Amino acid sequence: MAKLSLLWVDTPGLEDLDPALVAKAAGMALDQGGLLEAAVVTTSQEQAPAAVRQRLMGLPVAWLELAAEVGGGPEAHRLARAAVAVSRAAGRAAKGTLPPVYAPQPAQSVLVAGAGYSALAAAWEAAAMGHPVTLATPFDSVDQAGADDDPEAVSLLAAQLPAQVDLAPNSELTRLTGAAGGFNAWLSTNGDAPQTYGAVFLAPSGELVVGCEVDGLDPALCRPVSGLNPEDFAGPEDGWLHVAVLAGTAEAVPSYSFSAAMQAALALAERPKVQVSLLFSEARVAAPGGEKLFRDCREAGVLAVRVGPGKLEVRQGGRELAWADPLLGEELELAPAAIVLAEQATAARPAWLDNDLLVKPWDELVPDNPRLAGGRTSRTGLFITGALRGTSPGEARRDEAASAAAAMHQALTGKVVPMPAVRDNFCASCLTCVRTCPHGVPRYTVDHIQCAPAGCVACGACAAECPAEAIAPPSWGNPEMFSSLEWGLALAPEPKMVLFACAASGMPAVTSLSAQGHQWPAGLVIYPLVCAARMSQLLLLRALEMGAQRVLVAGCHPGNCRSITGNHKAMAKIASLSGELAALGLPTDALEFLPLASNQTRELASAVRAMAQKAGEE
Amino acid sequence: MTNAQLDTPVLILGGGVAGLAAAVDLARRGVAATLIEREPRLGGRASQFCCKATEACARCGACRLGELLAQAAQLPQITIYTAALAVAAQPQNDGWQVDLAPQPGGEIGPGAGRPLRERTTLNTQAVILAVGGGAFNPAGKTRFGHGRVQGVFSALELEAMLSQGALGPDGLAPAKVAFIQCVGSRDASLGRLWCSRVCCGYALRMGRVIRKLLPDSEVTFFHMDVQDYGRAWEDELPLMRHQMRFVRAMPGEVTAGDGGPQVTYALAGEQAQKEGFDLVVLSVGLGPPNGASALGELFGAAKDDDGFLTADGGPAGVFVAGAAAGPRSLNESIVHAGLAASAAAVRVASLTEARHG
Amino acid sequence: MRLNDCDPGFKHEVAAEPGGAGIRACFACAACSARCPVGANRPAYDPRRIIRLTLLGRREEVLASPLIWLCSSCYSCGEVCPQQVRFTEVLTAIKNIAAREGHAPPSAKITAELLAKQGRLLEVTDFENDKRSGLGLPPVQQRPEDFQAILGLKPSEGEAGEEPR
Ligand SMILES: Cc1cc2nc3c(=O)[nH]c(=O)nc-3n(C[C@H](O)[C@H](O)[C@H](O)COP(=O)(O)OP(=O)(O)OC[C@H]3O[C@@H](n4cnc5c(N)ncnc54)[C@H](O)[C@@H]3O)c2cc1C
Ligand code: SF4
Ligand code: SF4
Ligand code: SF4
Ligand code: SF4
Ligand code: SF4
Ligand code: SF4
Repeated sequence: MAKLSLLWVDTPGLEDLDPALVAKAAGMALDQGGLLEAAVVTTSQEQAPAAVRQRLMGLPVAWLELAAEVGGGPEAHRLARAAVAVSRAAGRAAKGTLPPVYAPQPAQSVLVAGAGYSALAAAWEAAAMGHPVTLATPFDSVDQAGADDDPEAVSLLAAQLPAQVDLAPNSELTRLTGAAGGFNAWLSTNGDAPQTYGAVFLAPSGELVVGCEVDGLDPALCRPVSGLNPEDFAGPEDGWLHVAVLAGTAEAVPSYSFSAAMQAALALAERPKVQVSLLFSEARVAAPGGEKLFRDCREAGVLAVRVGPGKLEVRQGGRELAWADPLLGEELELAPAAIVLAEQATAARPAWLDNDLLVKPWDELVPDNPRLAGGRTSRTGLFITGALRGTSPGEARRDEAASAAAAMHQALTGKVVPMPAVRDNFCASCLTCVRTCPHGVPRYTVDHIQCAPAGCVACGACAAECPAEAIAPPSWGNPEMFSSLEWGLALAPEPKMVLFACAASGMPAVTSLSAQGHQWPAGLVIYPLVCAARMSQLLLLRALEMGAQRVLVAGCHPGNCRSITGNHKAMAKIASLSGELAALGLPTDALEFLPLASNQTRELASAVRAMAQKAGEE
Repeated sequence: MTNAQLDTPVLILGGGVAGLAAAVDLARRGVAATLIEREPRLGGRASQFCCKATEACARCGACRLGELLAQAAQLPQITIYTAALAVAAQPQNDGWQVDLAPQPGGEIGPGAGRPLRERTTLNTQAVILAVGGGAFNPAGKTRFGHGRVQGVFSALELEAMLSQGALGPDGLAPAKVAFIQCVGSRDASLGRLWCSRVCCGYALRMGRVIRKLLPDSEVTFFHMDVQDYGRAWEDELPLMRHQMRFVRAMPGEVTAGDGGPQVTYALAGEQAQKEGFDLVVLSVGLGPPNGASALGELFGAAKDDDGFLTADGGPAGVFVAGAAAGPRSLNESIVHAGLAASAAAVRVASLTEARHG
Repeated sequence: MRLNDCDPGFKHEVAAEPGGAGIRACFACAACSARCPVGANRPAYDPRRIIRLTLLGRREEVLASPLIWLCSSCYSCGEVCPQQVRFTEVLTAIKNIAAREGHAPPSAKITAELLAKQGRLLEVTDFENDKRSGLGLPPVQQRPEDFQAILGLKPSEGEAGEEPR
């Protein structure tokens, strides 16, 4: 076994601790600047000075945010906690952390499949950062706008497209495999041969469809907002022409759609002797300028009618509308000469996207998850933008493309991402990793598991599920994690407890509590994870076996996991194990999951306190 | 005394989510940036916000601040000064020369950012204004009793109370809570004829959190319209209508009653009524940045009709990100910063090319 | 009621009347209804409802309604209105149209006649002026001519008479 040294980097919060004492308590040598075999470093890899990183290149190293794991309290308490934390990390370094498997150079080329404003914005952004871009459009020219686009903005952007954008006209993406740095894309114009791309933007042009209005209207009276020509409308000299604009009567429409309906209502109201009634369940005025438009409509004489969702009745063969007016408490009827219907932007989902074998189900690919805003999907390197995603037409789509492009550029050019190591001789070819990886990284090719070069986020889902211990992102394999747990727990005083803390929620909360001087229980081993997805039943049971009385897993709230279901997976494992604990003579709540956001420090502190209290009572 | 000198490709003013996201996005593009924050600490408004998850994440975006702070701390291209204010700015051939003055406060702690300690002159090619929007001061609507009637709070105060645990089983436990919407928004009489976009969302989400913390409490939502917040929101809205009481009426006033604040409102067809609550929350909206005119003077930044900053029609090399450019949610501000970062990066690249080629 | 049978021009007619310009801006928030002291005592009186009927174009119903004469002109509604509708003045506009069309209630007619006759609602008699002189105040002169001139009932006398101070 390599000789372990403690390499002390002074970080805020550690100033008063004596490195020599910590090293001694953890049973290690303190680094004195000589040759190193294996090391534990007291800070994270990113924050370590460049010279330190230089010295440690190629060695088994465990990086450790020591200050966070130590927390506050009297010096003796902190010293003991530091020893536990260092010892925990040393367990990992002692196993000779798997050296990172450096991926082949990620492909730099970018495929943009789609048309209209979103697609052009993506192509423009990717090209501006120097990526070779292929723009595969189903049309024969780039300046073709989607029905929901502003044609002027589209032709302006098309004219600005740099020369390095390679146009593939009349071409559609028909199949896609892989992830960031190594996508295989099949284009209809390329026959059977897939092309390799580093990243893919999917931005089909939008269509406008009428949604959320009532059934049974006389089609002869109806027309969509976009098909309206206000010039066609004028009332008689001696009376009025009534037009109804339905803008979300069955279900409220998004604000961009409501704004378009208001524009139509305003244009109609400015025609002679035309009385417009704008019917809706909610006035969705949140789009820029929406409230002003709403007032302009009213000033022009548009009658604003709020009807309860689904409360609009259709009568007389679809020629008459009736509703209970909530303001007057009586029924009102309107026989309009025309009915204008609000529209929403959508885009047809390509058929290959609905193949759950190749691609995650849509709700897992593009979940309504705050961490995947700005065009991101759960498949690293694949960006879905614009109408297909439901992004409002207009400037929001430009913002989205810019934000996505920066993430894309970083994934393809950033520091080398360690790929998961796959031990082919262990692999049972069960394809569990292919199915479980939330980010689409492992793929089965010919006879082995091949990982995309820039897609892995080290969530550890594959390592947790692989039945053969054959795959794990570097330093997240079972051997390192088990020995790390064992070393940490061995040094921790009774009652021993483990807090597994996800890097997106639990760990930031730990860090800010420690920075505030929070005193953690002496016997608590804090174990940072990239994602709760790494929790396996084996890991949970081993923690108990190694003497932990309680285990708490602090992961994201459902719906907020960057790896989509990492938290659900951990919760499910804990729930199913909890049923077995009684049979082992353990309390049924020995394993717990705490859903947490990074800002919920109070909640974390009180959950740990409760755990310590229960453990202390046993 | 001569100032310390600093060269940076991009200067970002404001360390809220928009400023941090702009810095991170620039770093992702390989462009270095210096971010200055006027206050002693980073985070802007979101640092006061509570998590609004109940059974699941409510997608309020508040925890994305933690993510951005961690990223900013790790990316070597980003330099951050807190307690730093831009006090003078002159355009120069390739950008701007900006004088920074240290502000009181600011301690060295873990994480991103160090306080500015000395007057510094900074040369930069592009400036991103990410100074945030002003929250409406509820004192501007005296009839709602803020600061006068006990038990009336602004939503900003409620955010802080919830995140500190001051409201809930271990603190204040109101049985009846009212939210009054559109306070300082959709209001021509205040010259604020815009919808603030975020307040329906935060109010209903906080209402739901209160119902979860205090299951016996009753939450009433005085509003005109409920705005949209994405796909999942529309599915949740019918549920929320069961969890809370939706009253479609703007109250006339809030007065001090025996047991707490009283809200006067009128339902259609009914006599106006006074109803007592234990807690009344004013859902204040977002407006133009407080220092908009100062920034206008410093950088000649352009403003739109409502007073929000805009990059359109302003001087070259000045970009705007986040709520400073109009009401925006946290997530929208983060994505919006992406475009400002893109524009700044493109400018820096073209200036560098012009200089070398 | 069918909107087709209403008069959409009514709201524009009211808006064109002095004071009526704000009517169309109303977005039915009910703040005025909550604050109106008349409504507090007479539930049938609801500013928002009167506006709604006007906007719908229920002309006869509004003009003939006895409710529109109940406003106490306290201006509370205008004070709270986020859309600057200025309902007190809007209602004056509506009342003017109503009066022109013969809908003024007898009380309003009497008030108007008193005004025309006396230049003020209260007739000034020796009783008032005796009281005033007791307080050291000058007597009030009853000069209905000025008012009648304003109303166009009498030709103006050129220079306006001196107002008592
Ligand atoms: C009560 C309330 C609740 C809200 N709740 C939510 C919610 O739940 N979800 C959501 O998505 N949004 C919410 N919002 C909106 C949210 O506040 C904004 O979206 C967000 O703060 C915008 O981020 P920003 O970075 O643009 O601005 P800010 O967060 O305001 O940050 C601006 C930063 O710039 C600094 N600054 C200002 N001037 C200068 C200067 N001259 N030099 C240097 N620095 C300067 C400020 O100190 C501040 O740190 C809420 C708003 C309010 C008022
Ligand atoms: S889960 Fe493990 S055993 Fe199964 S295919 Fe993947 S690497 Fe091989
Ligand atoms: S660690 Fe996570 S992202 Fe990486 S391959 Fe495994 S499951 Fe996929
Ligand atoms: S987005 Fe909001 S609700 Fe969701 S976990 Fe983060 S702070 Fe909580
Ligand atoms: S978001 Fe809701 S509360 Fe805020 S101004 Fe708009 S409608 Fe009013
Ligand atoms: S002015 Fe008339 S309508 Fe307005 S609040 Fe007073 S009494 Fe009511
Ligand atoms: S307060 Fe103004 S906007 Fe609201 S209902 Fe009354 S008149 Fe209409």
